[in-house]
Amino acid sequence: MTEAAPKEPAARSFRHVVRLEKVDMTFGKVQALSNVDFKVGRNEIVGLLGDNGAGKSTLIKIVSGVLRPTSGNVWVRDLAVNLEHYSVRKAHDLRIETVHQGQTLDEKQPLWRNLFVGRQITGRLGFIDVKKEKEIADHLLRRAIGFRGHGITAESTVRDLSGGERQGIAIARAMYFEADLIVLDEPTTALAVSEVRKVLAFVEGVKAGGRACIYIEHNLAHAHEVADRLVILDRGRVVGQFEKGEINLADLTARMIALHEGRTNAGA
Amino acid sequence: MRGPESARSRFLRTEGLPIIGVLLALVIVFMIAAPDVFLGYRIYMSFLATVPPLLVLAAALTLLVAAGEIDLSFPSVIALSGWVLAYFTHVLGSPWMGLVLALTAGAVVGWLNGIIVARIGVPSIIATLATQFLWGGLTTVFSQGLSYSMGEVDQYFLWHLLVGRIGAFPVQALWSLALAAVLWLVLNRHRFGEHLLFIGDNARVAEVVGVNVGREKIRAFVLMGVMAAFASVLLTFENRSFFNTQGGGYLLGVMAAVFIGGTSVFGGRASLVGTVAGSFIIGMVEAGLVATGLQGFWVRAVVGVVFLAAVIGHILIEEPERRSAFVRALRGRFDLVRKSSPGGGSTERRGAR
Amino acid sequence: MRHPAAMIAAIGLATLGPASTAHAQESLGSGITMYFQMGGNPGDGSTLPRTNGARAAAASFGVKLVEQYSGWQPEVMLKHFREAVAASPACIEIMGHPGNEAFAPLVADAVKSGIVVTSGNSPLSKLQNMYGANGFGYAGVDLYDGGKLTAQKMIEYGLRAQAERGKSDQGLYDTLKAAGLQVDYIEISPEVDHDSSLAVPILTAYLQKHPDVKAIGTQHGNVTAFIGKALEQAGKKPGAVTAGGIDLAPATIEGLKRGYVSVVLDQQLYLQGFLPVAQCVLSKKYGFAGLSTNTGAGVVTPKTIGGLVPLIDKGIR
Repeated sequence: MTEAAPKEPAARSFRHVVRLEKVDMTFGKVQALSNVDFKVGRNEIVGLLGDNGAGKSTLIKIVSGVLRPTSGNVWVRDLAVNLEHYSVRKAHDLRIETVHQGQTLDEKQPLWRNLFVGRQITGRLGFIDVKKEKEIADHLLRRAIGFRGHGITAESTVRDLSGGERQGIAIARAMYFEADLIVLDEPTTALAVSEVRKVLAFVEGVKAGGRACIYIEHNLAHAHEVADRLVILDRGRVVGQFEKGEINLADLTARMIALHEGRTNAGA
Repeated sequence: MRGPESARSRFLRTEGLPIIGVLLALVIVFMIAAPDVFLGYRIYMSFLATVPPLLVLAAALTLLVAAGEIDLSFPSVIALSGWVLAYFTHVLGSPWMGLVLALTAGAVVGWLNGIIVARIGVPSIIATLATQFLWGGLTTVFSQGLSYSMGEVDQYFLWHLLVGRIGAFPVQALWSLALAAVLWLVLNRHRFGEHLLFIGDNARVAEVVGVNVGREKIRAFVLMGVMAAFASVLLTFENRSFFNTQGGGYLLGVMAAVFIGGTSVFGGRASLVGTVAGSFIIGMVEAGLVATGLQGFWVRAVVGVVFLAAVIGHILIEEPERRSAFVRALRGRFDLVRKSSPGGGSTERRGAR
Repeated sequence: MRHPAAMIAAIGLATLGPASTAHAQESLGSGITMYFQMGGNPGDGSTLPRTNGARAAAASFGVKLVEQYSGWQPEVMLKHFREAVAASPACIEIMGHPGNEAFAPLVADAVKSGIVVTSGNSPLSKLQNMYGANGFGYAGVDLYDGGKLTAQKMIEYGLRAQAERGKSDQGLYDTLKAAGLQVDYIEISPEVDHDSSLAVPILTAYLQKHPDVKAIGTQHGNVTAFIGKALEQAGKKPGAVTAGGIDLAPATIEGLKRGYVSVVLDQQLYLQGFLPVAQCVLSKKYGFAGLSTNTGAGVVTPKTIGGLVPLIDKGIR
């Protein structure tokens, strides 16, 4: 693999790759997260579950540097993060990669740009080394999930790709930058069955490679299958945590339904 | 993977090819219709003196439109920076100072635009319309409504450097083309340009992939302000006059040049080559039409038709969903027509798909 | 892709011809091409009679007339002049708005290449003196006197910003002041210059703020057209406020007929179109010097407007 952007040294030992403590997130009058404690172990797959609007996306946007919490603390690799200076770029430097749901690639732009945007390979004065970016992009395409080789190249526009191919590129991007923590927000939506298998295999591979993953899923069966720990969010609060084996799929499903109904009854 | 591309298909993918084709076609039509004018060199020298300010404005605006924003305040920068330049050159006798301060004035206008749009959140079309009035009005106040004649300005080296002549060739053409080339490099090969494209394409995605959207937008507005100021310098020096109302006529022409050139009005995709060709088309078309004998009354209507045709043509090429929707709508119409004609058109099938 | 080029080609070739062409017998001006700057926008009140005059003269003399419209913008006028010179016509007609200094080097070049340059509507005295022998004439109002003439009864509006053009307002202003009146001066914005209906609210506001205003005056043709409307909106009876202006736009005629407008300087725009073409032909062919003609011979009042109406409707007066 060719070099990527400079990063924090990975060799240091730590217990949790990311940890949130007493995090609140308010948007105007809306309290998206309340007093959330959340941690991900060094080599752990955490499945994050919850209904729509429970706060899952908000949580991971804080982890990935897109949002700044209203209050609370964040640690990465057991080092406190200065939230004033935390950003997506900083998260990338800290080897946290995120595949956001749906919007993580710009439609009209070619693949090679989408791969490197925000951390371009540049020479002096900020001019992009286009040739190199295209080379690496081509290389990545061959390894990415979901491609059947119909003439998609590094120059192809994202618009020309199917949902599965886009997901594959987004994941390939996260892989390329060798994250210690990969955050996946609903990665299996819009994928064909065979591609879903590949994503799950990828998640397991992350674990096998000694890394961590936060995995948001609506499909409880998938989450239940791969996660080491399940965290359930409801209306901005953590309402349940289960280690692998502590709960079976049927009970988990019942629990989620009950939560949903509780919300509906409460008129949420 | 595709096989190696033939030379022919690589040529066809050249940026801006359709609009360059239109420009050449236009020149040929004018050559045929008004040979006494368009087969000589003088009219082209005249264009090379008058198109540069338009070109510089349109090129800078292209980057801003790529980022999904617009700037309507540049006519007032032309007035403001023109006044600053004229005042320092004509009244105080220091043209270099005038140049520096004129560019600074443009930067200030741009910076203010950027703040209002990116930090306060006012849509750029409204913000820059308002600042157009603000700075235009202030210019009238500063200049007390007066215009300056700067007949003596050709004694300055700076004047020759910027708008002098090499033989009959106007130097400003070189400056403006060089600037357009630099802007092309910035848009297509520089980090900043890539950020603008991403912001224009989808600002939310740009944010999550680590682009500092607010900061880059402000930079783009400042760039526009400085470029507008430079265009004003070229214009004011070439005319050897500062007119209190200068700039007003450029608003629509510059926009037309940008959009005829193929830059997407939705952001995320831009063509500087197209803008250059579009600027020459806009700069030439009026003179060409009157030289062919077309009555003056027709000129604006024709320009409007060209503008519309070019913009529709671009959308139909570049936005395939719109094209297929349009084609479907057309087909729907034709099918209705066929079905309603006597003799049973309804049993016709569409051709093999 | 549908090519706009094809459309342009079609339009371009199809419309060759509407321009004036030489008559069958040798006309005085045959073979002469003249670029003529008409001033405003095609068809507007202070431009149309000039256009018609120029066309009529061109038709009579057999001159090929190329019309240019600048929306009264000085920098556009300069641009148009450059384009005209590049076309190497026999003559070019310009207006004084950009000023002597701005035109000087350009006119020098033009005259050197043998082009006859002449002027109208607002003068370029310095250039006229320099190139009179080459046919540089003037067909327009003697501005100071014109303003003075109009000022027999009014307070003014003006375009001080434009070089010599502003002299007419000065004439208006000075005369009124000399007559002992208190005069308020309101500058016209570029928006109003371009689209004069925008003057109505401004005038109406002024009238309401100063209810004892005795007169309103202007030397801007399109603004004159809207004074009557403003007076009406401010609730004034016809004749209560003496209004004076210039040119005979349709709305101005209405104003005259109804008595809202008291006196209008008639700069006889048709002559500003006709005479420069004649100047061009005579200077080009026979080397005659430039003639200065004051086309603003008198004023039109509600009493005299009646006879002129049919000609006005045709865009001649």
